[in-house]
Amino acid sequence: MVRLSRVMLKEAGNAIDKTLSEILVCPLSKQPLRVCEKTKSLVSDTIGVSFPIKDGIPCLVPKDGKILEEDGDASKAS
Amino acid sequence: MALRLLSRRTLGSRILSYRASLHSHATSFGFQQVKEEEKSKLVGNVFTNVASSYDIMNDVMSAGLHRLWKERLVGKLSPFAGMKHLDVAGGTGDVAFRIFDAVNSVKRRALRKVDEASLEETQIYVCDINPNMLNVGKQRAADRGLRDNKSLVWVEGDAEALSFDDNSMDGYTIAFGIRNVTHIEKALAEAYRVLKRGGRFLCLELSHVDIPVFKELYDLYSFQVIPNLGELIAGDRDSYQYLVESVRRFPPQERFAKMIGDAGFEKVEYENLVGGVVAIHSAIKL
Repeated sequence: MVRLSRVMLKEAGNAIDKTLSEILVCPLSKQPLRVCEKTKSLVSDTIGVSFPIKDGIPCLVPKDGKILEEDGDASKAS
Repeated sequence: MALRLLSRRTLGSRILSYRASLHSHATSFGFQQVKEEEKSKLVGNVFTNVASSYDIMNDVMSAGLHRLWKERLVGKLSPFAGMKHLDVAGGTGDVAFRIFDAVNSVKRRALRKVDEASLEETQIYVCDINPNMLNVGKQRAADRGLRDNKSLVWVEGDAEALSFDDNSMDGYTIAFGIRNVTHIEKALAEAYRVLKRGGRFLCLELSHVDIPVFKELYDLYSFQVIPNLGELIAGDRDSYQYLVESVRRFPPQERFAKMIGDAGFEKVEYENLVGGVVAIHSAIKL
């Protein structure tokens, strides 16, 4: 039962990704965010950090941000 | 001459003690002393543990009164259709759902003849640092048939570093959340930043009781009954011990009101409920 509802939550989340990028800003730089469909994340280009979206919930806690490499690969933040 | 020297000295010591007390909030986890960096992790653990029984425990601990307190909070907010509202530390959605209901019933009654497409959609953002609390909230939304409703947006974020633009919110509420924040002044500064001019700040929080006899009864209830309830119902005595200790460590009504004013807010007021067990602080960004 719980697993089914989690799957449903995930699907619902995908639809609202675009709206989120218009409203939210980076918690660190306060600059606009870009949605990255491939990695399911919100990217702050100003400081090169990406924040994940889990189950349709954007995780914009500063310490959850991953620093992006130059060529766009995500790597764990120190 | 002597009088002026005396007042300058007390002012200096007052500033020092104010800064010391802010520092002491940042390094206190209930009655324990902890490193500043540790506090948010410890608080995070508490809420991860209590998330699934959070709502039931609230009902039991407050004998259902927390519902009335939240109704009062939302009443003071005076929600309107089309508003952009941010509910911080609102994980399980109690306040957000009440605001949603308030807006939608007013809207339905008043706007039968108005072209609804021309109105901007209401947006209620629920921000919480703990994903477990948010998941409980999202599940409750789904249970109410609001799973796909665009008005409710769930975001994981830190009250001290909000991911919302400056001057973007008509309202900001934080219910039973601010005492868990490591740096209260940062949370207040962020609240000030995201609110529009004319935006309302409302904080519902457990506070200090001064009434004799009642204070002793309340202390007895807090320290003898609540941790036992926590063990019985949530299977977690320690988290509820932290909860009651954190209430005692939080600044009293007047001092918290001063902190809100220091963040730039105007018309700072507070209302005690149940003799000060709970207080609603309100302010406006002008």
